[in-house]
Amino acid sequence: MKESYVDLINIRRQVFAKVAKMAYEGDDLSELEKASFEILPGEVATYRDSIFRERAIVDERLRLTLGLNARKPTEYNRITDGASIVDVNETRFIEPLINVITFACEACPTKAFIVTDNCRKCLAHPCTNVCPVNAVSIGKNRAIIDQDKCIKCGRCRDTCPYSAIVQYDRPCAAACGVNAIDSDYLGRAQINMDKCVSCGNCIVQCPYGAISDKSQIYQLIKALKGNDQIYAIIAPSFLGQFGPLASPVQIFEGIKQLGFEDVAEVSLGADITTMREAHEFLEKVPNEIPYMGTSCCNSWTIMVEKMFPDQYEYISDSASPMVETAKYIKKKNPNAKIAFIGPCISKKLEALRDDVKDYVHFVITFEELMGMFVAKGIELSEIEVSKEIQDASSLGRGYAIAGGVAEAVKRTALKIDPSREINVEGVSTLHECVKLMRTAKAGKKNGMLLEGMACSGGCIAGPGTLASLNRVRKAVVNFQGQAECESPLDNKTIDEDIRNKYK
Amino acid sequence: MKIKVCVGSNCTLLGSMSILDQIEDLKDIIKDDPDNYSDEELDVEAIKCLDICKNTDKNVAPIVVIDDEVILNATGQIVMEKIINKIRK
Repeated sequence: MKESYVDLINIRRQVFAKVAKMAYEGDDLSELEKASFEILPGEVATYRDSIFRERAIVDERLRLTLGLNARKPTEYNRITDGASIVDVNETRFIEPLINVITFACEACPTKAFIVTDNCRKCLAHPCTNVCPVNAVSIGKNRAIIDQDKCIKCGRCRDTCPYSAIVQYDRPCAAACGVNAIDSDYLGRAQINMDKCVSCGNCIVQCPYGAISDKSQIYQLIKALKGNDQIYAIIAPSFLGQFGPLASPVQIFEGIKQLGFEDVAEVSLGADITTMREAHEFLEKVPNEIPYMGTSCCNSWTIMVEKMFPDQYEYISDSASPMVETAKYIKKKNPNAKIAFIGPCISKKLEALRDDVKDYVHFVITFEELMGMFVAKGIELSEIEVSKEIQDASSLGRGYAIAGGVAEAVKRTALKIDPSREINVEGVSTLHECVKLMRTAKAGKKNGMLLEGMACSGGCIAGPGTLASLNRVRKAVVNFQGQAECESPLDNKTIDEDIRNKYK
Repeated sequence: MKIKVCVGSNCTLLGSMSILDQIEDLKDIIKDDPDNYSDEELDVEAIKCLDICKNTDKNVAPIVVIDDEVILNATGQIVMEKIINKIRK
């Protein structure tokens, strides 16, 4: 989430709340025809050139929130076309997860260096003198960059004494760490699915709100209204997301009021992942594998698989905290269906994997959950409940913050074998992840434990968050301090035989 | 100056936490420029739902109350401007 994109955030979330309300109230999906008029009443445009276009884009958001594809402007389709496919009580995934709403995209120009009004055509004109391809000349009013010649090295920008030259890039492409954003024939953004790792950073950064993922809240709510026993598992970054007055236990209780059987911390699964990865590291590095990468960020592991296939076997094969938590609940109640609630969009894909789909049945974000609270009229801060949540160790709860995973694995490994020396390196943007893997591939990270996270700052900065990074970081650290135990090896919630296996 | 920011469900959905963050940031601007701003303390409180949104069909969230003035559909820029104008010497 980018807090300063206020209008975009509001539109997106109003759509979540609307779809959640329709699901809870059992409205017929034909009501969708009217929904954009309720979200955007009146006839005066607020956000774009006309109310018609505003509503048309909201219509596509409504479809994506239901799990349907956005419509093509070239084909006749009703907003409800295909609705029967997704009007079910289980996840129906229609590819792709990340979608460009084509007519919301303003076809921003691609990366270029541009001379602004600040240029004074100065006598020294260092911009022309430093250009390695002789692309800068002095025109009638200002310096001119020949875009055909320009190799985008940035030297002219760096040397200009008036800060007159700026680098321009489309925000979606600048945010993409794997170069997955191309252009269609009208210059609009188009996602290359062969490259995309579904991190969601383009969704967050687009200032026109033209990119969106799909949601599963409609199907989840239908399932919650039925007889299935659905458990919520909530990611370690949930602290502080739902307002400063909502305590962790009130959040858990509020989730139960939405129709869930029970709620568990995913930090519990993080504790199991930590023990497995610590054990795996001690056993395999450096004899079987030269270094080990952590496994819990799905976009990071997909990136390695796509871009560095020969290195993929060096990523831990321990299951992610989401999967471990789901397995823990499944063991207690084999009939359980499990919904993961987190900051992450990529988890929506992880849950579809063959080895995961029997454990995790729904994935929604914190933003989508907030839409459900609003639809149900739940005020978290007014719930009266006095209990403590003690599912996880403080190291497990630290998974939410960049560096937390490697820290937990390292400290646990050292507890198991204090004689080892363990060096870790962690990065948290997809750009940095790619760079780290390049150096690892070159053999420069041998013996190390590498933590890769696609979002800057870790999961607390995920695309599906509601609160600012600083706010959540404080709340996570505070919640870590409330954990009864520091190490996963001492977490009594986890069966003793599992813990003994790794001690 | 008493500033109350509603952090009920509706207001949180529509960005009241971001308004709280912006008011916090504002404190730095004010503190750094004592020549232009009085040292009146900003007493910021996150409050429970006032039920204003629940008694109307209109969209009114987020809601901020500065002293006794209720601001509907509050945005960071409106709230910050009001605070700055009140505190400017």
